[in-house]
Amino acid sequence: MKNVYIPDIVTISEIREETPDIKTFKLIFKDKEVQRNFNYKPGQFIELSVFGYGEAPFSISSSPNQQNFFEITVKRVGDVTNALFKLNEGNAVGVRGPFGNGFPTHKFEDKNILFIGGGIGLAPLRSLINFVLSNREKYGELTLMYGARTPKDIVFKKEIETWKKHVDVHLTVDVGDETWKGTVGVVTVLFKEIEVDPKNTVAVMCGPPIMMHFVTKELLKLGFPEDQIFLSLERLMKCGIGICGHCNIGRKYVCKHGPVFTYKETKDFLETAI
Amino acid sequence: MQKMEKYMVLSKKKLGVLVERFLKEFQVYGPTEKNGIIAFEKISDWSELRLDVAGVPLLPPKKIFFPPEEVLFTFKIRNNNDVEIGDPLDKIKEEKRVLIGIRPCDVHGLTLLDKVFISEIVDPYYVTRRKNTIIICITCNNPTEYCFCNFTKSGPSIKEGFDLLLTDIGQFFLVEIGSEKGKDIINSNSDLFQEATENDLIKRDQKIREVEEKLSRNQLTGANELYQKLIRVFNDELWNEYGRKCVACGKCNFACPTCHCFDVYDVMELTLKEGKRVRKWDACHFLSFTRVAGGEIFRKERISRVKQRIYDKYCYPVDEFGSIFCVGCGRCIHVCTAGIDIREILKKVLGM
Repeated sequence: MKNVYIPDIVTISEIREETPDIKTFKLIFKDKEVQRNFNYKPGQFIELSVFGYGEAPFSISSSPNQQNFFEITVKRVGDVTNALFKLNEGNAVGVRGPFGNGFPTHKFEDKNILFIGGGIGLAPLRSLINFVLSNREKYGELTLMYGARTPKDIVFKKEIETWKKHVDVHLTVDVGDETWKGTVGVVTVLFKEIEVDPKNTVAVMCGPPIMMHFVTKELLKLGFPEDQIFLSLERLMKCGIGICGHCNIGRKYVCKHGPVFTYKETKDFLETAI
Repeated sequence: MQKMEKYMVLSKKKLGVLVERFLKEFQVYGPTEKNGIIAFEKISDWSELRLDVAGVPLLPPKKIFFPPEEVLFTFKIRNNNDVEIGDPLDKIKEEKRVLIGIRPCDVHGLTLLDKVFISEIVDPYYVTRRKNTIIICITCNNPTEYCFCNFTKSGPSIKEGFDLLLTDIGQFFLVEIGSEKGKDIINSNSDLFQEATENDLIKRDQKIREVEEKLSRNQLTGANELYQKLIRVFNDELWNEYGRKCVACGKCNFACPTCHCFDVYDVMELTLKEGKRVRKWDACHFLSFTRVAGGEIFRKERISRVKQRIYDKYCYPVDEFGSIFCVGCGRCIHVCTAGIDIREILKKVLGM
């Protein structure tokens, strides 16, 4: 029986700077067999250990189609992430997982997908977008609404450019600068720029709770059914396996029942999710 | 667990002999008294055991299976590129333990914790200790003013969850066998036990009735309606009072036999080359409990944390595990800094 609390060792094989405080880490398990058996779904998360500093949950940002490595995209905000940012390529960290339910991609087939991301919330959506793009024929029209604080804070800049071939991309920033010619304002301002048919579209979002709150309101106004709005929620999952209690929202544990819930499901939590 | 229809009796003197035999082979835990406080501790002599104390030990027996603080693993950082991990489980696997003198409410508490720690995913430390520990329960003989197991249906007697069950019937304990392990103890110590008579069973039933009588002063009823009523009153004003009163000290969390939340952190040696990952009991009443990196706290208001604990005892676990997570031991009432009586809250919810 494998001890679920003991991480497997991974090597940081590449570090890419996305923004001044966000980096993408490409990770490969030291044990080749562990790497081979590491299967995950878009929207699932891992627990990352920086030994001596602790453990924290991160969404996987790469697509499961990548077999030889996986990636996480991390914002420097806490103890573990600050320690992680000091590490170099070649260094070892620990990984447990994958955990959580992930996005129910089979339910998205034959439908249009509206991806809505805020800040670092684009990380799990990147996994989903790349997964969808590699099975492009199974899905309808794809639209992305993404908001960042400033133009400097936009993650996956180059990749977003490549998505534009298949995805109708709309970006906004809270505060522009001299280089920014695009939209300024919170994510919801982008609703003016897009046209979606709520009858055959699923909305999939990840971002700060306040963003998800207002985006959900707009979606409901547009006529999206409550069970076609998918939210990826953030809580501090410490164990990842439904025991430590930290990620519980009312009746549900984000780590094992989520992190992806429909808006309809969150209404039954009793506690407010977003 | 298969229940075997065989009853034995054990004289109180001979229980001492049995415990002395256990001490040669097992680590033995039971209720002891130190400075007027009753606690489950490891004993080295059977005379340390206190089997007839009023109520239950201050901290529940969960600490024997899920210690307040425990090392999940150790690590050595060879260089930045390589880390070696040490698993403490091998040592835990070697332990052989007996827990004697645990009351039915607390046994019930362990069976509830089992649902959390031993589900699809198994907590290896907890399950190993559960497997390594023989449970010798004692029918409650002395409830206190805090007890309300008649409401939670977890006492004063019990039907399963033990290896052996003792009931004080005067000179003797009536002994019921709850498992193969329990049967083995009887078989390998057959010189100490005698077969019970029908009269002994009558005495046991009398004893249980006496305790039930004492418990009946607690008049809380309507456990079946609690779940639905809680759902209805989630946003009710009745919580305001408790949001104001509670000081969020977390004592009720730690004293609860079914609270299982923990924090996880690393501790480094001064060399900065070696360290350990530790888990430690945590409390949903603490402000920091729902804090995520970046500073957001999801339960800022104290009222939301008071509600969290109540709902995570009487509502959420009904969805998840099919039962409430309260055994009526009354520890949370006993330890509460603010003098909050959970039975009063339940009465309000139930409209009593």
